[in-house]
Amino acid sequence: MAAATATTETKTTGHTILRWIKAAAGWHLLLAVGGVVGLGWLWAGGGTERVIVFKVVASLLLVALTAVNALAAVDLLRLRHRGRVVSLAVNYLGFLFCLFAVMHRAGGFTGFNTLANNFGRALPFLFLALIGVAISNLGENPGANRKMVGRGITAVGGILFLFLAGLATAGRALVISLTDPTTLILFVALFPFGLFLWAIWRQPAAARLGAKNVDNEMLIGWAFLSPNFLGFLLFIAGPLLFSFYVSFTDWDAFGNANWVGLGNYGRALNLTLAPLADAAQRANEVLDVRVYDELARIRLFGRSYVIGAQDKLFWIALGNTLKFVVFAVPLSVIPALFLANLLNSKVPGMKFFRAVYFLPSVAAVVGIALVWQLLFNASVGYINYFITQITTFLGLTDPKIRWLSASDTALLAVVIMAAWQWLGFNTVLFLAGLQSIPRVLYEAATVDGAGSGRQFTHITVPLLAPTTFFVLVTTTIQAMQIFEHIFIVMGTNPAGPANSTLTLVLYLYQKGFQRFEQGYASSLAWILFAIIFAATLFQVQRQRMSGSGYDA
Amino acid sequence: MNPIRKSLYVFVVLLITAVFLAACSGGDSAPATQAPATQPPTAAESSDEMPTAEPAAAETMDEITLRWRTRPDNQAEIDVYQSVSDELDSEMSGVKLVYEPGGSESSSYQDVLRTELAAGTAPDVFWIPGTDIADFATRGLIMNLRDMADATEGYSDENFYPGPMFHLTFNPETGNSGEALWGLPRDVSTFALYLNLDLLAESGAPDPRELAANGEWNWDTFLEVATAINALGDDIYGYGQNAWWGPYGYWINAAGGGFYNEDRTACGLDTPESIAGLEFESRIYNEYNVAVPYGEDSEPPFLAGKVGMFQNGRWATPGVRSSANFNWDVVELPDGPAGPSNWLFWGAYVVNANTAHPEEAWKLVQELTTAETQGKISALGANIPSRVSQEALDAFLTFTPPANNQAFLNGLARNPATEGPLWAGSWPEFDAIMGPAVTAVLNGDQSIDNFAATICDEANKAFNQ
Repeated sequence: MAAATATTETKTTGHTILRWIKAAAGWHLLLAVGGVVGLGWLWAGGGTERVIVFKVVASLLLVALTAVNALAAVDLLRLRHRGRVVSLAVNYLGFLFCLFAVMHRAGGFTGFNTLANNFGRALPFLFLALIGVAISNLGENPGANRKMVGRGITAVGGILFLFLAGLATAGRALVISLTDPTTLILFVALFPFGLFLWAIWRQPAAARLGAKNVDNEMLIGWAFLSPNFLGFLLFIAGPLLFSFYVSFTDWDAFGNANWVGLGNYGRALNLTLAPLADAAQRANEVLDVRVYDELARIRLFGRSYVIGAQDKLFWIALGNTLKFVVFAVPLSVIPALFLANLLNSKVPGMKFFRAVYFLPSVAAVVGIALVWQLLFNASVGYINYFITQITTFLGLTDPKIRWLSASDTALLAVVIMAAWQWLGFNTVLFLAGLQSIPRVLYEAATVDGAGSGRQFTHITVPLLAPTTFFVLVTTTIQAMQIFEHIFIVMGTNPAGPANSTLTLVLYLYQKGFQRFEQGYASSLAWILFAIIFAATLFQVQRQRMSGSGYDA
Repeated sequence: MNPIRKSLYVFVVLLITAVFLAACSGGDSAPATQAPATQPPTAAESSDEMPTAEPAAAETMDEITLRWRTRPDNQAEIDVYQSVSDELDSEMSGVKLVYEPGGSESSSYQDVLRTELAAGTAPDVFWIPGTDIADFATRGLIMNLRDMADATEGYSDENFYPGPMFHLTFNPETGNSGEALWGLPRDVSTFALYLNLDLLAESGAPDPRELAANGEWNWDTFLEVATAINALGDDIYGYGQNAWWGPYGYWINAAGGGFYNEDRTACGLDTPESIAGLEFESRIYNEYNVAVPYGEDSEPPFLAGKVGMFQNGRWATPGVRSSANFNWDVVELPDGPAGPSNWLFWGAYVVNANTAHPEEAWKLVQELTTAETQGKISALGANIPSRVSQEALDAFLTFTPPANNQAFLNGLARNPATEGPLWAGSWPEFDAIMGPAVTAVLNGDQSIDNFAATICDEANKAFNQ
């Protein structure tokens, strides 16, 4: 009798599960049909204002949506495990998409600005709820009364907490936002996505669809990975691809983007060379000044030429960036190596000095740059004050260096400031590298009669090669992307006197955010990426050719 | 499930729910504007059609929220703007005003604003400098208020100085002024020379204020005074200015030149007059050597008592007042070869093209520019009222020191060139070409002849081809 009842229950459960699976298949079929309808709408006149590239990308996404959902529907009906995996993925992503879209449309994300106000005043009641949890659970055998009191406190604290955090206001805001049809559709869609996600994930459905333990473990693994992975796609890969697309348009960040093909890249890289009758001839006599500006003059085989550039500022910025790298990287790496050696000695109080040298690395760039701006002031700055004192004492002529206002010193000033800040971090990296070198090697060298100089050149430097490689690569990339230091220290004129501190990132910032040329700015960003990639690749190749220090 | 674990689950769920609730409830600064339309209206479209954006989610039907922003120069201004906002909030029924002090110029006020406009989170009403009006208007980022203004009883363009109103009523579609209304000017300002009276007395040079009163204040006497002060010591300078288009623009304008040609459709930097003005300024730096090196911030040495004459706008007055430990006053800029000259700087309150509440936003713009409101702001000393109103001007003149406040007002009357947008091109592009080239001349890195021969070839690219 009992066995029969169990069998009947199992059958009933089995039928219920099957109905859930069929319903899920129906849901995926509906999504597939939705994809087809969306595709038809897109090409039958809907969204006609969109550019063709947008249409193509949207179409590809809709085709993918249709295909994936159709596959899920078919596989679920055939009780294949693949259908479960696809269904879970679609419903999970759909649920997240709808949740975040509703949050966005209801103003939830911009509302995070006000979190401190609401959350701060509600927080004490959260602690009250926590006290309630403690009262009802702590101890080996909490009595029924204590449990009841604890739960009561938890409930009261929790409810007050939610209300003060904004339950009523948020509820009202949500209801008002649902008067917008799109928000309403997204909100309603949350439920089937969530429901089928739950239904197909459950153990009975998993068993019915032939899931094994290893399958579930795999899915759990993906679920744990998903926040980071989706974050990467959304906030890194997505914007990267978008900026790549934008780099082929004239988008100004506000209106529609017109496709310009390689026009932006051409404009940046377009150079011309024109011969001059004599070295003093004006460039506008030989260049088409409607297109080109004079960039530089060169002398080849006894003849003078002028180089014209369609975008002179790009080449100036590139030149300044490379100059900055050439000076800032050695200045922040080589002293760091020697400093790390000094700080590696076992002298009392050395930890204090390590902290002191590391301090600039953790200080805010803005604060540092403002201090340096004052130090560099030519008339009332401390640097020139000390130079004046020293030159007066020595009876020399005061050079009165115009650190930030002369075109030949402005970039140097930024190099000094940046190298000073990066020095500490590089020192710490070298220090870590030094401490990983076995002491026994130095002891053996000492026994063999090697002095500290030879130990440094024959043991320390080779064995630090991996660290040096890492430091060089990261510092070079950092230097190529220099922006904040210049932006702050140069005050209201970041490009500096005669554009002497105009670097590539600063230039693309100016183009994108100050001159309404997001498309062109994106192309500059990709050119910079190509340069950094090439430089890094070169360093990697060099490192491979020279081999690891430990192998040498 | 373990009871402790279960309780902790409940606790965590409560926490997460609260975070989202706190965010969704929006608090006081929920965005009042909608995300920008896929196609922002063009200048012409925005004049004909009112936006149909719906109210933000957190608003109730009976009270709307308007966010507004301006670029304050100091905390005192922020406090006054906040109090003005609070007063207007109580006067405007059905409207809740939220004042957002924007960042200063050095903290990229305009860059932040542009980014917010692109993201659809910019305030309903905001201030922008006069040079930005054309870029914002032609891209459909700000609303044409002309229809609403015409329907507003008592409103007249003539209540404000004509220079800014020429640009604020310019219709880029027809090229005529008086046909549109992109906003109302918040304030105006002019240049003056801030004088260190102690250095002046020590040098024995004639007092520029007396020279000005006698009609003898010109480039020659300016040079005489600057040279006398400069001779006081190696670390003393006769004159100082900061490196941007305003200061060198004065020298060009006062010689009869200008940045553009007559109808502002091409570069005018290579005319003989413009070149003469720039050449004189270049000699101040490279021949007479009486100035703080060009490109150095002249304000710190002036405040340190090392500069005799510091050219700056009215906005510098509160800082000088609080930091200068010497006797000081101001005087008009000297007359150039072409007569008196100055700049008329201005900025305007404009309405976000995507605001959900255009009528209320327009009302707010009017309220922010009444004589009474401008009087309150002017009493702080940083701004000259943009409204041609004796009440507002009287409030401005009460702020002393400087004793010679009238010098700033004189600047308004003495042939000022109006700071203006470039309707026929891109001002940021033009400035990016002009600035480094002028700097190279003033630093002695480029000859004035070479500048004259090449500058307009480059600068004309900033105009619509």
